[in-house]
Formats: sequence, structure tokens, C-alpha cells
Amino acid sequence: MALLEGRNVSKSFGGVQALSQVDFTVERGTIVGLIGPNGAGKTTLFNAVAGAFKPTSGRIVFDEADITGLPANAVCRLGMARTFQVTRPFGAMTCLENVMVAAINRHPQKPRAFIESMAREKLSFVGLAEMEGFEARHLNVIQKKRLEMARALATEPKLLMLDEVLGGLNTQEISQAVEFIRSLRDQLGLTVLWIEHVMGAIMQAAERVIVLDQGQVLMAGTPAEVVNDPRVIQAYLGE
Amino acid sequence: MTGKKLAVIAAIILSGMCVLPLGLGIYPQHVLIVSLFYVMMASSWNLLAGYTGQVSFGHAAMAGIGAYTSGILAVKAGLHPWIGVCIGTAIAALLGFGLGALCLKMGGIYLSLTTLAFSQILHIVIVNEYNVTRGTMGLQVPGLMDEYSKITYYYIMLAAAVLILAILYRMIHSNLGLNFRAVQNDEAAAKSVGVRVLRVRVLAFTVASAMAGFAGGLYGHYLLLITPEIPSLDLQFKVLAMTVIGGMGSFLGPILGAFALNILEEYIRVYGEYHVLVFGLVALVVARFAPNGLTGLWRKFRPVRTQPAVKQI
Repeated sequence: MALLEGRNVSKSFGGVQALSQVDFTVERGTIVGLIGPNGAGKTTLFNAVAGAFKPTSGRIVFDEADITGLPANAVCRLGMARTFQVTRPFGAMTCLENVMVAAINRHPQKPRAFIESMAREKLSFVGLAEMEGFEARHLNVIQKKRLEMARALATEPKLLMLDEVLGGLNTQEISQAVEFIRSLRDQLGLTVLWIEHVMGAIMQAAERVIVLDQGQVLMAGTPAEVVNDPRVIQAYLGE
Repeated sequence: MTGKKLAVIAAIILSGMCVLPLGLGIYPQHVLIVSLFYVMMASSWNLLAGYTGQVSFGHAAMAGIGAYTSGILAVKAGLHPWIGVCIGTAIAALLGFGLGALCLKMGGIYLSLTTLAFSQILHIVIVNEYNVTRGTMGLQVPGLMDEYSKITYYYIMLAAAVLILAILYRMIHSNLGLNFRAVQNDEAAAKSVGVRVLRVRVLAFTVASAMAGFAGGLYGHYLLLITPEIPSLDLQFKVLAMTVIGGMGSFLGPILGAFALNILEEYIRVYGEYHVLVFGLVALVVARFAPNGLTGLWRKFRPVRTQPAVKQI
């Protein structure tokens, strides 16, 4: 069975239908891209899945458990972690402390030494080892995104949800980042659901791509199928 | 700072505090006792406002709950003050739990307004329930021991303050402390990494309220006369000013602030009502030049550490 499955997920804010009857699946051990024009509902879908808010209707099943409407902390404990499009570090805490917060909630009984070494390991995994003593608000945007990644990894997730982690990177950095996200799957065995605007990166890394447009699933398929589909081209470029 | 060094400094300060009142007269001793009450109040309020970001205006009310519960039990039921203080602490904890749960979904100004309303309601009830509380006349209560002795009260308050500070210190430096600060920094992000935000917030409210109730109970039995001055907004804002001026969100800040402002108040008392003006000026100057309080000032001018330790005071 798929690791994550959404059935008929809808969400409206007042009169605005942000998502309508979205069906999707994310298979274990895959990297799935979630793309769509601005305002298509990608981040709304993320929020509904990760428990930031409750969907208006529909069901979300994660790892064979119904998580519809569960709060974010409960969803996290079941093994789902996320980053935020606009980063949300714990600004007045050091980088190490940021990651430690995630670690202690995964391992509440473990001694402090274990937590600290785990947090350091995650920080060096994302290349922030030297920054551990700095308060997170002093980091630049790219470092903040990495910090969020380390924090998410310290919750030891099965599914990692990334919300636009490549913004602001140059071509070379993008290909490094793509390698990095691949390694999450290959080395850590994670499943990745990934919102991204940088199409080239998604096309390289993802096995499957889900295209959202105006709150609905336009199509889902392999990257090659998606780029050649006339509906997708139309959604992005117009008539 | 390493744990050992910290323990040595704490021990030196503590022994200093033990000897301090011996050479002083009755009045300075009184000022110190009151300062210790404020140390407990400001430090526990700091747990709420400085560590979890819940700016409650009901903290003085909780001290009032502790004081009046214990006082009324002693006067009406003849209960020993120590038992009364324990019951007062428990009731403050219970009310703190309730108030915290009520404010769960609220942030910022809404939480402040709700706790302000709670505080005002309590104040009105105390003033008007003359038969039980003696209203603004004040309730005369027995002391903690049979024979009144300033110095004994001083040591009792010192022990109580040390107990409260030790509990707070342990909490702040445990996993719970990290969760507290995560909630204060960003609730949504804290939730996303598994922090049980609701539980953390209510816990902070319960613990801080219990501490205020405990401090208020002891204070009432020291003053021997419990008046609606304890659960008043005046006292609440004094606690707020002490915490902010000392340094919100730091362990030492409220302790320094409590001593500094309470002793300052003694010196400016001669100006009568104008002393409030001086308080305001001090707060203004601090807000302008040391927005992170006295401890923030210290941190600012200390040489920059390249490798800040995880533990910070």
C-alpha cells in the first residue's frame, strides 16, 4: 500500500475553493514532485496533509493510519516531516538547539549527550556543522532552508515533505541540491514529496510528478509524460 | 558557563544572602523579604512570558488566590498556615490550569486581555465579598510561626525563593525548556517537529500559577494583613516591569530586576505618587537603550563567543 494517500481532499477558505476533490498517492521509497502554477494549491495541500489545518472534506491516509484532521505534532510523531516555503526557524535559538527540539520530541527518554550528537550529525549532514552555535535568525535564506531540512530529518521521518527548497540557488547549487535530495532517498531510505518551481530539478530527481492546477489534479505521471502533456503546457503557458 | 563554575557562583551568592541581613536593621530586612517575594513572582512570570510567550496579566491574581486561600482557611477553619499555603498553591495551580486551557487557542493580545479580565473579576469579588475577605480593610491572618521574627521570615522566604529558582532552572535546562522556547519562537514550526504545543503551554501556565500562589501565600502570612493590593494590577505591572527591565527570557534577569526595582522603590518613596513616574522613566530608558534588559546589556558588551554553549543563562 502507498505510504501516503489522499482521497477527495477539499479545502475551502470562506468562499475560495483552494482544493477540490484532490486524489493522490505517494509510493514508498519514491521521490514525487508536486508542481503547478502559482496559486494552484500546492502549499495548501501540504498544510492539509501535515496537519497545519483540517481539510474541509476528504480523507488522508499515512502509513496505513487515517490522519485526517490530526494536529501537526501527532502527524510528525507518526513519521512525517516538512519544511516551510517561507522558512520558520526558531530564530532566537542556536542552530544546534533548533535541531535538538526535533530530536528530543522523537526521543524524549534519551540522554542529552545522545540528543546533541544526533543534532550535530544532522547539522553536518546538511553542511551547517560550523554554524551550530549561531542563533538561527543570523543565517541567510539558503542556510535557513538547510536548517529546516536538518530539523525535519531529526524527527526521523518516513516521509519528508519539501516546500520549494531550491529558490535562490544557482544552476550548480541546484544540481548539488538535487544530488542531496536523491541521497535522502538512497542513503536514508526516505520517501520525498517535493513542491518545486524549478522544473529541471524535478524532472531530474522525481519518479512521479503530480500536477495541480486551480485546486485540482490536472494529471499525474512520469516526468516525461508530464512535460509532454498539452494540458500541462496549457496550464503553465495559457492558450 | 560550565556547571561547576555556575554552582560555585550560586553557592557564593547564596552564602552572601544568608549573612546579608545579620548586619541590617529591621527595615532593610523587610525590604529584602519583599524583594524575595518579587523574585519568585518575576521569575515564575518569566516562565510564562519570557519562555513560552504567554504574556499573562493574571499572575498577581494567582498570588492573591494563594494568599486569600491560605488566609481564609487559617481564619475561618483554624488551619495551620503551612497547610494553608500548600492548599493555596494547589488551588492556584488548578486555576492556572483552567486559565491556561481557556487561553490555549489565543495568542498575543487576546491572551493578555483574557487574563486581565480574570484578574479584574477576582479583584472585584475580593473587594465585595466583605464577610469572607474583609474587602479593602484587609484580612488579618496569623503568622507562619508563633513568635514573630523578621530574620526567620527572611530565611523562610530565601529558602522558598531558592526552591522556586532551582525548579525553574531545572525546567529551563531540560527538554521541557527547549520545548518552551520552541513554542515561543514559532508555534507552527514547533508543532511540525512534534512539540505538543497545547500541553507545553498549559503546563507552563499551571507551574507558573502554582509558584505565584505559593509566593503569595507566604507573603500574606508575612504581612499578617492580606489586602486586595496583592491581586492588583499595580502589583502585576510591577512584576512585569521587573522582568522586562531585568531581561525577559533570561534566568538571571527577573532576579536582578526584582531586587533592583524593589530597592529603587524604597529610595524614591519620598516622592509619593511621583515614584510611579520614576518607574516609568526607568522603563523608558531601559526599553530604549537595553531592549533585552539588564542581562541583555551584559550579553551585548561581553566579548563574542565563537562557540556559544548550548546552556545559556
